[in-house]
Amino acid sequence: MNEMSILDPVLLIAIPLGLAFLIPLLGLVSKKIVRWIPVVGFLFNGIVALLILPHVLKQPIIVKIGGFVPPFGINLYAGSVGMLLASLIAITGFLVSIYAVKYITKGAEQKYHILFLLLLTGATGVVLTGDIFNLFVFFEILCISSYALVAYLGTRSGLEASIKYLIQGSIGSSFLLIGIGLLYGQFGTLNMADLARQIVDYTEPSVFVSMVFMITGLGIEAAIFPLNAWLPDAHSSAPSSVSAVLSGIAIEVGLYAVIRVLFTIFAVSNFFIFFMVLGVLTVLIGEMSAFAQKNIKRMLAYSSIGQIGLIVFAFSISTQLGVAGGLFQMVSHTLGKALLFLCAGYMIFRTGSMEISSLEGIGKKMPITALCFTIGTFSIVGLPPFTGFASKFMIIRAALANGELLLQILIGLVLVGTIIEGAYFFKIIQTIYFKGAHKTDNREEAPVTALIPMLILVSFIIVIGMFPNIIDKVLQPAASELLDQVKYIGSVLG
Amino acid sequence: MSLELLIMFAFGGAFLTYLAGKISSKLRDIFALLCSVALVVIVSSLYKVETTITLYNGFFGMPLSMRLNPMAWFFAIAIVSSSALVVLYSMSYMKHRERTDYYYFMLLLINAAMLAIVLSGDLVSFFISWEIMSWSTFLLISYNRNAALPAGIKYIVMSLIGSMCMLVGIISIYTAFDTITISEIVQHMATATAGYKLFLLIIFSITFGIKNAVVPLHTWLPDAYAESPSPFSAVLSGMLTRMGIFGFLLIMFVMVGAENSLHMGRGFFSYHNILAWLGAITIVIPTFIAMLQNDAKKLLAWHGIGQGGYMIVGIAFGTSLGLAGGIFHTLNHAIYIILLFLSVGAIEYSTNGLRDLNSLGGLFKKMPIAFLGGLLGICGLIGIPLTNGFVSKWLIYKTLILGKAPFLAFATLLGTWGTILSVYKFLHNLYLGQLPQEHQNIKKTPLAMQIPIVILSLTILVFGILPGLPLKSINAMIVSFGFTPLTVSIWGISSETGTLNMINIFSILLVVVAIFWLIFQAARKSTAVDQYDNYAAGAAIPKDKYNYTVEFYAPFYRMATPYLRDIFDMLYQKIARFTEFACDNIRKIYTGYVSDYIIYIILFLALLISAQLKWSVF
Amino acid sequence: MNILYDYIYYAGAFGLIFIGIFTMMVKRNYIKVIIGLSILETGVNLFLISVGYISNGTAPIFSNPGIEAKNMVDPVPQALVLTAIVIGLAVLSLALSMAIRLYKHFGTLDLQQIKEQRW
Repeated sequence: MNEMSILDPVLLIAIPLGLAFLIPLLGLVSKKIVRWIPVVGFLFNGIVALLILPHVLKQPIIVKIGGFVPPFGINLYAGSVGMLLASLIAITGFLVSIYAVKYITKGAEQKYHILFLLLLTGATGVVLTGDIFNLFVFFEILCISSYALVAYLGTRSGLEASIKYLIQGSIGSSFLLIGIGLLYGQFGTLNMADLARQIVDYTEPSVFVSMVFMITGLGIEAAIFPLNAWLPDAHSSAPSSVSAVLSGIAIEVGLYAVIRVLFTIFAVSNFFIFFMVLGVLTVLIGEMSAFAQKNIKRMLAYSSIGQIGLIVFAFSISTQLGVAGGLFQMVSHTLGKALLFLCAGYMIFRTGSMEISSLEGIGKKMPITALCFTIGTFSIVGLPPFTGFASKFMIIRAALANGELLLQILIGLVLVGTIIEGAYFFKIIQTIYFKGAHKTDNREEAPVTALIPMLILVSFIIVIGMFPNIIDKVLQPAASELLDQVKYIGSVLG
Repeated sequence: MSLELLIMFAFGGAFLTYLAGKISSKLRDIFALLCSVALVVIVSSLYKVETTITLYNGFFGMPLSMRLNPMAWFFAIAIVSSSALVVLYSMSYMKHRERTDYYYFMLLLINAAMLAIVLSGDLVSFFISWEIMSWSTFLLISYNRNAALPAGIKYIVMSLIGSMCMLVGIISIYTAFDTITISEIVQHMATATAGYKLFLLIIFSITFGIKNAVVPLHTWLPDAYAESPSPFSAVLSGMLTRMGIFGFLLIMFVMVGAENSLHMGRGFFSYHNILAWLGAITIVIPTFIAMLQNDAKKLLAWHGIGQGGYMIVGIAFGTSLGLAGGIFHTLNHAIYIILLFLSVGAIEYSTNGLRDLNSLGGLFKKMPIAFLGGLLGICGLIGIPLTNGFVSKWLIYKTLILGKAPFLAFATLLGTWGTILSVYKFLHNLYLGQLPQEHQNIKKTPLAMQIPIVILSLTILVFGILPGLPLKSINAMIVSFGFTPLTVSIWGISSETGTLNMINIFSILLVVVAIFWLIFQAARKSTAVDQYDNYAAGAAIPKDKYNYTVEFYAPFYRMATPYLRDIFDMLYQKIARFTEFACDNIRKIYTGYVSDYIIYIILFLALLISAQLKWSVF
Repeated sequence: MNILYDYIYYAGAFGLIFIGIFTMMVKRNYIKVIIGLSILETGVNLFLISVGYISNGTAPIFSNPGIEAKNMVDPVPQALVLTAIVIGLAVLSLALSMAIRLYKHFGTLDLQQIKEQRW
């Protein structure tokens, strides 16, 4: 570890956290500099994460905080999954914070940037930690900063969404804490690897109850049906840059936590059917609710529910292929949905309305934004040659490779969801390009700081979509890491 | 010339055309035309070349490949040449329209995608190209705004249903055989069970049936054809829809193999027989629905569906003769339907977008070239001897008669009869009769629009008189499917059961025409009158236009209209409305009350615990 | 009697948790819901403490050489509870500050009436 001190996973958490608290001080020096601090922070994070990534593919890095050897003390587990998601978080954070430089101009700017940094710090912490109470703490950092960011604009809708999110979210946190308490009471440890080693049979009632509490608690943030009622409100009322991160990062991280708890701590191997059905229900309800929306951001939010359902479905196949497909779908959803929210942000900003009908003729006025939006929708629907297709391909392959009839029926239902999704997204595309040319108000193209992140996301979507082998190299070790509990225990406890 | 270059040229040309359009529209037009012509040159230089190349392994390590064989070449040349003609035509047609850069980009992208479909050597690149074709088609169908928007949605939703079926099929093949390369799948197919083959046939038939508009999966087509810009309607009907035929050939005769797909099931309920009957229904009903149309493009669209039925019947019958007929009909249909759409497009262009059959007429003198196109086009459509449609229809009739399928043969003849009735109305109401006053000074048809019409008209005659030209490469394709080759000469086909020799027909006809001409010359008594000089059986002639074809076939309409509704379209509309209703109501579970949401959370917790206690799901 | 004596803390903790959730579920007033949330959190904290509690135990500090670790209460849950209290405080203060803004916007704290965001 000494020879690569810059490549320390702790930095991924420490740097944004430190910068977040530095912002009020730097704000005294210059107001403008504050806007660029998240950009710098996540640029650093992105570089570090991508540099660490090749190392962890071979061997996970276990960081012992304070020098305590696990299971004592807190440790970070920077494995392939953790680093994959950490890089994703850093890159998305970097792009969204560039976008926010010009986008966030009203209100308490400094506080926005602090909260934004904290949100992603929390997310990074969740994916890297190897300790369940630490998981809870980072989870709370993530949740509390997102409650506050949802209400950032101080509008009626923002406040309403924020309090509803807060109420449901804090019930979730309490449940998570109950679950952690129950586990600690039985096994006397908080270390994930140690817990995993001690839990032999998760169906034993006392262990099972703690698992259920943890799943429910984490499931609220992960937006699994029926725990996702907060999501459409919160994602549609937040400022678009926040929606991008909430949809692209926060729910994925929540889902990661669920999966990590299930796979690694409890070693659940046959929770197939229940979660699969839940995933398919989430897909169908999400897509069907999105279909009838008139508000563009609400539609995107419901579509996120559908995508989460697909990811849940993929994970619950729980084969190497299925888990890799689920992770891939996470990546492509993050890229696609972040892109869509960023585009929608400026479209809404220019038209002043979230109604889909107000987007008429925007393809002429904001050609680049509209093009990016179109590519984003194509990717989310899963049309080639964009990432969404590659990940959907992998998931369907995983479902069919299993050979069970039930799975084949369920994948059919998922595809029905995809068709509904296609129908409403294509309607929006028609609205953007082929309706209402008569509107000649002075809408103009988004500023460069917004276009750069959009175009970078588009290029990611196209490149990964055409050459999925790039990411497949990370997905395969990541999937085997999630599935191989014994190796996890071994690498932490030695 | 290698295949990589061809594909790169096709896709790259599309992008570069778009960029060129940003510089100047002239440059773009010329560039687009040059690209299309160059593609024609490249593809024709690849005649009789058989090769396979691997493009790259980047897609999950699957080898994405391109392969050229007789079937691919045949479709490729049809695609690129029709594309070149349409691009040339568009240069004038699209001149003063909005978003022309975008139009050309999409048109060329669609052509590139179609080219990639027919050349793809594995199922994944097949699917990727198929999807690129689908969404770019959607974007171009919606181009005309207003009524085109619902048509576009209808198209893309049906197309997505088809693609999802195909995706499931492809991935199931991949998991079953662990390969996606078509040539390897063929070898593995021998080990597959009959049930699995049937599953593959059905699931791919849904996809290709939607694309080829086989009843009952045809409902997207009339709206999509009618609402697209006319040059694109031509591409859509000529080549794009016929990708379905390509698909049927691929799945039935290449992948599953003729000996399997023609022996699937027993008696009437065998796969290919049901397909043939669906084809027959596709011929009859849409052709008669076409008769009721008053929109020139809708009329052609319904005929497009009907003609697709002939191809399906020919292919599904699965003999050398039938296959040749079906495939040749695909080509012929492409030629005359493109011609017809281009002719209608010329009228649309000259009359500022009119295509209502009841308000047009008498354009014969004003637009002679368009008339020529329309006349030869409908001759081909009906299948009048010496036009190309005759040969392929003859082959199909012959197949059905030889195959002892009198009912199918009757259905195909009935279709032809319906075609005659309806295209007469088409020809008359556009070109003959009186010219309405407001069309006295219509725009001239520009040269760029005349050239493709003339070329296609000539092709109809050439292929009608010399059917051996295309039949030779069709024969090569049939042989590659494992059928016995036909004896093809340049003038026609000879077989033990009957010989088609166009030169004989041609010479007989020539003699007959000469005799008639001589008779008319000898007894020439006709005088030229003004077209307003009308005889109306003694009744007073109205001052304004006297259009005696407005109520053409009125008694027939009264009789047949109740039966000629598109019941499937109505059914799908109902399903769509129901889905919309369901979607609108299911979201009401998000009531807006936080207390409800908390109840959901508690319920979820309770459900997890009770599910474990009761059924131990975990 | 002995069983009850052993589990009295757990009973109390879960009692508080149920009261908290019940309050959040049935009360319409936002402030009351926050009170419910607070009760819920207190219950969870009490639960965590009781996990590590040993009756008649001593503080986990080796102040005198004679003290054995056996009788010490578990220090870890106490550390956890401290953290949880701090987090709870943050949530609570955020919730209350939003109550002020909510009242400004809607003129009411009745959650049944604040339902613009739905469907």
